[in-house]
Amino acid sequence: MTTIVYPAQPEQILKSLSRLWTALGEEEKHQGKPTVLRACAMTLIVATDEPDLGFSASQTIAELMHEHPSRGIVLAISDRAERDLQARVFAQCWKPFGKAQQICCEQIEVTVRPQSFPLVGPTLSGLLAADLPVVFWCRHHAALAPAATSDQTAGIGAVMRLATKTILDTKDMDLECLFRRMQQWRTIGRLIADLEWTRLTAWREPIACLFDTVRDNPYSNFDRVEVAYTGDTVPASAVYLAAWLAHPFKAKVSLRETSGPSPGIQKVMLHSPGEIVVLERDRSDHMTLASTRTREREYNYTEPTLYSLMNEELAIIGSDPAFDSAFEHAQEILNSVR
Amino acid sequence: MSLALQTTAELNPLQDSLRFGRRVPPCAIVIFGASGDLTKRKLLPSLYRLFYERRIPPSFAVIGSSRTPMSDDQFREKMRNSVSHFLEDAPFDGDVWSSFAQCLFYIPGDLNDPASYDRIKQKLNQVEQSHKTAGNVLFYLSTQPSHYEEVVAELGAHGLAHGNGWRRVIIEKPFGHDLASARRLNDEIHKVFEEAAIYRIDHYLGKETVQNILAFRFGNGIFEPLWNRRYVDHVQITAAESIGVEGRGAYYQETGALRDMIQNHLSQVMATVAMEPPTVFDADNVRDERAKLLRAVRIMKPEEVAKFAVAGQYGPAHVGGQDLPGFRQEPGVSPDSQTDTYAAVTFFIDNWRWAGVPFYIRTGKRLPKRVTDVAIQFHAPPLGLFNQETRTGLMAPRPNLLVLRIQPDEGISLRFLSKSPGSGMRLRPVSMDFNYGSSFGERTPTAYETLLVDAMSGDPTLYTRQDMVEASWQIVEPILEVWGNTKFDFPNYAAGTWGPKEADEMLERQGRKWRVP
Repeated sequence: MTTIVYPAQPEQILKSLSRLWTALGEEEKHQGKPTVLRACAMTLIVATDEPDLGFSASQTIAELMHEHPSRGIVLAISDRAERDLQARVFAQCWKPFGKAQQICCEQIEVTVRPQSFPLVGPTLSGLLAADLPVVFWCRHHAALAPAATSDQTAGIGAVMRLATKTILDTKDMDLECLFRRMQQWRTIGRLIADLEWTRLTAWREPIACLFDTVRDNPYSNFDRVEVAYTGDTVPASAVYLAAWLAHPFKAKVSLRETSGPSPGIQKVMLHSPGEIVVLERDRSDHMTLASTRTREREYNYTEPTLYSLMNEELAIIGSDPAFDSAFEHAQEILNSVR
Repeated sequence: MSLALQTTAELNPLQDSLRFGRRVPPCAIVIFGASGDLTKRKLLPSLYRLFYERRIPPSFAVIGSSRTPMSDDQFREKMRNSVSHFLEDAPFDGDVWSSFAQCLFYIPGDLNDPASYDRIKQKLNQVEQSHKTAGNVLFYLSTQPSHYEEVVAELGAHGLAHGNGWRRVIIEKPFGHDLASARRLNDEIHKVFEEAAIYRIDHYLGKETVQNILAFRFGNGIFEPLWNRRYVDHVQITAAESIGVEGRGAYYQETGALRDMIQNHLSQVMATVAMEPPTVFDADNVRDERAKLLRAVRIMKPEEVAKFAVAGQYGPAHVGGQDLPGFRQEPGVSPDSQTDTYAAVTFFIDNWRWAGVPFYIRTGKRLPKRVTDVAIQFHAPPLGLFNQETRTGLMAPRPNLLVLRIQPDEGISLRFLSKSPGSGMRLRPVSMDFNYGSSFGERTPTAYETLLVDAMSGDPTLYTRQDMVEASWQIVEPILEVWGNTKFDFPNYAAGTWGPKEADEMLERQGRKWRVP
């Protein structure tokens, strides 16, 4: 069931949502028992300039609802929008395996003309789920690019002001420009997350395991980190990984291009005087951790999807000290590489 | 999190507890009693699910052992059928099973045959090479409790308690059948394994909702100030089952509800509800506080047992168009059995926080529905401003009630009074509800998934320690002794009812009544 709301006044949108829940409740009256559970643990706002008018963003939100029930608000910014601001409300429902009751989350799709993007703040303010965190997922690539217009910059600024946390993705973006802007946002107190950092968890976890045995750890004296990646430009993930590893141990960093089964990081090497430890993605679904001394371990590797990355990020609403530290030092590494 | 893990996390500069999952090192699990119910209903479905979610590493193997002659392939096929049948809240994936099955092995053998342990040792050496299990082994004793001492002794005699990696042993409940036997069993196990390697499982402690009691109490600022005798009138803990003994009559006849549920699961739940906050959230501190609480429970004198404890046994009944047998009519049960299928006990905790507050615990089979919850009933307001309406019979006064629902419909609700719309001050009880599903999506790990990961990772926080086991035997032992010398007039409640009338009378004598969950 969907309802178009125009003009997109928060009051009107909220009334539509209320009517939606009333309609869903009708079924309960017939059955005489609760059949729908209304679920909401946060407001998730997605801004997108993708040509599908937010369709793929809505699909990912629908998947995420299962783990992170939320009031989803998709802002589709497009020249093709029929009106300045127009909203549509509907419910995302699913029935957990083996359960009789449906779980439903509400979703609001707002189509916005580009010139109205800076003006979305008041509308969104009225739509936030009360007293719950607000996460902003910025999928508006043009607004993150060096050539972003003032409307685009103001637009994401307006949403960011409402957000507890902003998630963006520096993959395939101009890192120098975007790192600079991220630093500016961080300076004024915005909580920023980068999905390129999230992609690293599968790499960071096995490496971190090596340092669990603290006493007489043979690895703690490594002095050089080497990160090999595929692609023409250095991915942010390679810079982050190098920063995360090198900083605590004051190790030197080298980044180099290589070949591999798919884009991204392929190999990490930790060089110490007596040993070299290598974590390598030797197949598309497999990683091996080996050292010149003794150990060898195998790990499954799954190429992360947007869903899995967002799923991980939405579980962290507050600050992320490991990322904060890596980001600080990633800027230095990026500057030295350039 | 254990102290060891925490220290490691603090010192490891690359640790990232926000994102990294619990580390499960490579290991092999040896299950004794592999053709039994627990293995097929709980252990294998949990291990499969952990494998499905990639929460256990590829360097992993399971060696099942029991008397039933089977090949590896027959064991795999049998477990495939069980897992696909008993998997909870999750679909079965044939492809994932094919990979998982490669980690399953079977060694037939008698528990008292030394040659069986030699074959297990040989297989462990094999999988250490083929599956790179690093010599780490977790032994799971899922046998009849009477075999525990024997199996552990054989593990020691065959050098299986030590090896290239760590060695741990999980022991299912019941840990002894009274205080003396629990102590004896502990002494025997300690001859082979150190305390740090002994994991006494109580699966209630692994339930998300039981763990959430600690989060609810100590992660929020508003509840703990009310959590004491000044505000709490009494606490009711209910664990009701609608089913009977389901073919386990012979086993159950030797156990009874008090031993089966209250001595272990429900006393641990009570300890979780009533314990003091630990100074640090780690295994030792959390277990210290639980143990301290159990030691503060007043031990009944024999003459007090009749006043504070009620035994029951269900009789036959016609429920929902179906004739249900009484306990004495169940297969394997003696026709004059004196076993309690229902037990209700009033405990008092003699410490500063809870002095004078009764904790009512009841459990039983063939009750009207399956439900486990904890209800904290607060004192009524000091002044009855709205009693006038009560005198008209519109509403009896009802104190606030906080209910922690452990299963099913996991969640928390707070009952309070609200004005009914319209003229006049007519009040009506309403409920403020938190349901897990409305905030945390669809699936939470089962208790066995949680506890297996903890044991493999070396975190004993949710396992019981010997002092906790002994303290919980101490509080039920006087009741067991009196009941053991009593000839009850059983059956005293019909299937499908909330237990014997004596249980209602126990509360009525104190001016209270059981909730209807």
